[in-house]
Amino acid sequence: MIVLLKLIQGIGAGALSISIGLLFVGIGRKITARIHRRYGPPFVQNFIDLFKLLSKKSISHGFTFDLGLIAGFSALLAAVVFLPMGQINIFPHNSSLIMILYLMTMAYLGMAMGVSSSGNPNATVGIARALTLTMGYEVPFAAVIFSVYLFAHTGSLTNIVAAQSGGFMNWNLVKLPFGFVAAEIALQGMLGEAPFDMAIAPAEIASGPMVEMGGKYLGFGMLQHSIGLFLETGIMVDLFLGGGSNVWIFVIKQFELYFLALLVNAIFPRFKIEDGVSFMWKVPLLLGIVQALIVVL
Amino acid sequence: MELRPLNVSSKSKYKTYELFIGPNHPGIEGNFSYVLDMDGHKVAQVTPDPGLLHRGFEKLMERRLWTQNLALIPRICVPEPDINEVAYCMGVEHLAGIEVPKRAQYIRVIVLELARMGAFLFGFGGLGGATGLYTAPNWAFGDRDYILDLFEWLTGGRVYHIYQYPGGVKNDIPEGWLDKLSELLDYFESRLPEYDKLIFKNPIIQRRTKGVGYLSAEDAIENGITGPNLRASGVKWDIRKAQPYLVYDELDFDIPITGDGDAFARALQRRYEMAESIKILRQCIKQIPDGPHRVKIPNPFQFRVPAGAYYSKVESSKGEFGYYLVSNGDVKPYRVYVRGPSYSVSLFYAQKAMVGMRIEDVPVWIHTMDICPPDFDR
Repeated sequence: MIVLLKLIQGIGAGALSISIGLLFVGIGRKITARIHRRYGPPFVQNFIDLFKLLSKKSISHGFTFDLGLIAGFSALLAAVVFLPMGQINIFPHNSSLIMILYLMTMAYLGMAMGVSSSGNPNATVGIARALTLTMGYEVPFAAVIFSVYLFAHTGSLTNIVAAQSGGFMNWNLVKLPFGFVAAEIALQGMLGEAPFDMAIAPAEIASGPMVEMGGKYLGFGMLQHSIGLFLETGIMVDLFLGGGSNVWIFVIKQFELYFLALLVNAIFPRFKIEDGVSFMWKVPLLLGIVQALIVVL
Repeated sequence: MELRPLNVSSKSKYKTYELFIGPNHPGIEGNFSYVLDMDGHKVAQVTPDPGLLHRGFEKLMERRLWTQNLALIPRICVPEPDINEVAYCMGVEHLAGIEVPKRAQYIRVIVLELARMGAFLFGFGGLGGATGLYTAPNWAFGDRDYILDLFEWLTGGRVYHIYQYPGGVKNDIPEGWLDKLSELLDYFESRLPEYDKLIFKNPIIQRRTKGVGYLSAEDAIENGITGPNLRASGVKWDIRKAQPYLVYDELDFDIPITGDGDAFARALQRRYEMAESIKILRQCIKQIPDGPHRVKIPNPFQFRVPAGAYYSKVESSKGEFGYYLVSNGDVKPYRVYVRGPSYSVSLFYAQKAMVGMRIEDVPVWIHTMDICPPDFDR
């Protein structure tokens, strides 16, 4: 009975992450459009696009292509289930941050396996850049997580959120400010927003990984992007903004982070890949190490 | 440079791979492609693949009356169609010995400079598109629409104007149009600092474009590169000053020189020249005389241009844009040749310049060099 209940809750969490992620992207497109001085598409456009794409006939590039995309999608879906979202916390005793990060990396590797098997050099170059950038932002993010661990003496997101309860002054944002800035820069890389959008550079490699995706596959790509967006901003909210007393507060805090990412995205072009990685290994990593030292000393 | 069949890699099959920049690719303007043989992330060999945009304009012109061609030629170049009309009309007028009224010449300068500004805005946008700064193209294309609004009021058309005519321009300037133009220039002057902040002072843009695609003055001259790209390499050459046409000798303007020869200098050159265009337009608004906007030519169906040949050229946003007209005294041209400014750089210099470049520098090079497929494929 408990298994069934957890299953239903898990499906609910997945559906929530997909709809919130799509909504974020829709509102984000509107905000970006206003910065660009244009009107922008309606904010439900992403839902319309998704339904259209999922109802289309699609061309597969073989078993590995399908498997890679599904593996990436399901890894992200599995990661969302372990994320505490306000009062929704499906596995309160198992919300290990390490496991969530592991599943997120699985998603990237699944995607890499899928798109590389399509045989298009644009996709291969794109995914090579994405994995290189992963190496770039995971190092400072690991440093940040290290300092959060040292500070909270726990690796469970549930406990980290609980430790921050009781108002703004208890948030890790206030207590670990350098760590927050470092994680925020790493988040920009995770979300793939400028200046770290070199993996999907349209003018260089024709949108990279999704170049061979069409129809249902592109729909799955959109789903993966929206879950990823929800998950990455969700981890940040749990780590630094004290989670949320209920799910709506949690979502509003997530949106604030996404909004900040959009503003940065609007005014920067993209780095070259080596500049992006070296920036990640300099500025946020240094901030992360400084934060860890402050916590230790 | 030897040509080789497409889709056959020159070296080992596994050493290099092919990457297509075009014909349907966000990194290139128009239906044209560069086939890049990539060695890792560096370009090993470049093969331009033109021919997809060919519409046979020069042959079509031989079958149409001298005045009928005016509806055809703007379609050669989308970003800046007016240079076609003015260069063609200037050639016809020279051959037919038609004296153009002063007012018409001023109107032509206004149209040319507005079109230049529109093309420069395309240039800013192109750089933004190539480097991923999407606010820049959206702002630039939005601002360009205000220019198109003015063109629509003046000529009835937004992109293709078909406004020039041998002997002058088709209609006089409507009442209130010059005031509106003056307002628009004020607006652009207020916008230029914003573009500076967004694009030219942006540290990542500088990092991405400085030192990329260096073009020396010798290479530029050897390859027939003209216009802003030549001036960005430090050569002070502008047809408007060197061999003035229309009323450019009555106007006071400078030729800015950036001189570094890299992609950033080429982008910045266009920014400076846009400010000069604003200056020229302000003078035109002040100095434009009253009088007829056109001299009548005889019945267009019987309009015979005396036999002869003439090369008329204008300074476009990309460089020297010319029409070589040959007439045998008939109602139709005997032969017309169009000189596009990016012809030599797109097809020949590209094969040399892009070798050794990285993938992410290729679109930057393409956009700052203003590779325009209609220049060599029409």
